[in-house]
Parts: sequence; C-alpha cells; structure tokens
Amino acid sequence: MANEEVKSKLKAFFMSDLGVDGDVLNYDTPLFGEEIGLDSVDSLEIISFVDSNFGVSMTGVGKEPFQSIDTIADFIESHK
Amino acid sequence: MKVAIVTGASKGIGKACALRLARDGFTVVVNYSSSDEAAAETLDLIKAEGGDGMVYKANVADLAQVKAMVRDVFKAYGRIDVLVNNAGIVRDQYLLEINPETMDKCIDLNVKGYIYCAQTVGLKMFKQKSGVIINMSSVSSKFALPGQCVYSATKGAVNSLTQTLAKELGGWGIRVNAIAPGFIATDMIDAIPQETRDGYLKNIPLKRFGSPEDVANMVSALASDQFSYVTGQVFVLDGGLSL
Repeated sequence: MANEEVKSKLKAFFMSDLGVDGDVLNYDTPLFGEEIGLDSVDSLEIISFVDSNFGVSMTGVGKEPFQSIDTIADFIESHK
Repeated sequence: MKVAIVTGASKGIGKACALRLARDGFTVVVNYSSSDEAAAETLDLIKAEGGDGMVYKANVADLAQVKAMVRDVFKAYGRIDVLVNNAGIVRDQYLLEINPETMDKCIDLNVKGYIYCAQTVGLKMFKQKSGVIINMSSVSSKFALPGQCVYSATKGAVNSLTQTLAKELGGWGIRVNAIAPGFIATDMIDAIPQETRDGYLKNIPLKRFGSPEDVANMVSALASDQFSYVTGQVFVLDGGLSL
C-alpha cells in the first residue's frame, strides 16, 4: 500500500471513528494538540486500527509516532 | 465459541481454572512454561470431558513469547474472551535474605508478565469491544506474612494494576478483576510439614485450606455474564484468614 493510501485510510478513520473534523485535519496536524484534541484513550483506538488494518504493532512504542497522520504513516511504512 | 487463555495452567490453581472454564464451554488455551507433560495432561482432561483447546508453551515474562502466543491463539480461534493471569512464583525470603536475582524473577513473572499478557490480549479484546481479564493476586497482598516481602509487593502491584486496567478498559466492555486466594491445597501446601500446616489452619476461621476448585469457581463466576457489572475489584478467597 502506497504511503499516500495509508494516510488517506488513516484520515478516513480519524473522521469516522474518532469524530475528527476533516476540514481541520491535515496530514501534518498535531493529533494531540489543542486543534484536534485527541487524548491518550484515543491512542488505544489508533493502535487497534493500525494493528487490524496494517498488521503493524504500535503497543509500547512511545508517543513519538502518534504525533500526526504523517508520523503514523511513516511508522507503518518502516515496520511493515 | 468463546476462548479463554489461562497462564500457568499445567498445575494447581491454573489447571483447575482451565478445567472449569472448559466445563463452562470455553475453548481453553493451557499456557505453561516448563511442564510439558503436566500441560498435556490438563488438555487431555479437558478433552476427556468433551472440551477443546490447545497447550501453548510460553514464558509470560518474555514479551516476545507472549506476543507469539496471542498471535497464534488468535490465528487458531479468531477471538479471545477471557484471560486468566495466573502464572506466578513464590520465593519466600526474609528481608536480609532477599537477593536481586530472586526479586527480579518475582517481579518479571508476577508483575511484568501480567501486564504483557493484559496488553497483548487486551488489544484483541479491545477490537471485540468485550472481554474479561482475571488476575490472580494473593491474600498476601492484604495480610502480612513474614518472609513474603517481595511476593506480597508483587501481589499488591497486581491489585493496583487490576484497578487501573479496569478504568482504562471499561469503556470498551472489558472487565478486569482479581482474586486473592489464601492457603490453597496445592502441591506447595502438601510439602509443608503437618505441624506447620496445623498452625496455619488454626488461623483460618473455616478450618480448612481452600481447594483449587474454590478458586476456579470464582474465576468461572467472574468470567460469566452474571458478573457483568463488576470490575476493578479484588476478591479475597481465604476462608476468613485475613479477618
């Protein structure tokens, strides 16, 4: 799956499952900042989604890869 | 089909829990770390009663082995409904006898192992939006027994992580509880001299040691829907010892 496709799939997930407004969600938007406002509980949803859809485990990897759709996609790309 | 993983299920309390859950209709994964024959015997007993399951050798203190086990179980059955975190060790040492190696072993298995299994199985339950995690604690977490400084600390940790995980996972339909057994009649108790055992019995209001089946009955209840509104609790099962 191309990196762009991964990002698109992630964005769709954030909009449909976590209720994020697609208009303010760019690939480099900080997910846990004030603008989007996700919290640590949401990271469980992200871990579950990534595991199910890309077969990549994000348990115990720290906060760094969760910063934005870009960083999550990069993590997925480098751990496939 | 519902699936349960019981860690440390080749003997004692874990074995009784595995057999009971199989009788309750669960497909049971009999996890063990060293006793191949005993684990096979547990599975044979399950199958002899018409149940189903598998044995799986994995040291739960090793995250990579836990991940492999959960991945293989999920491949085989497609779901995991109950995790009984039971594998643990007791190494009684008075304060001045405690050595770092023993302490590390206890913490690795009794605490880290529980968290590794909860984390790895929890991810599967999280996707299912349902599940039950039952952590085996000990009355030692509530009732001070000399020589059990490290062991009681690990079981106190089990109580704390039970409460924390109950809060973290409750929103996804995952219940987390703990059972704190007192003296249970296993091989370990059988090895104690009769005189010492009589001394223990004097302090137990019900005047008997518990049986592995007593613990298994509680596991069965907590795994069932009858306890669907109970989470984050530590159930003491000690015949009144800690009163």
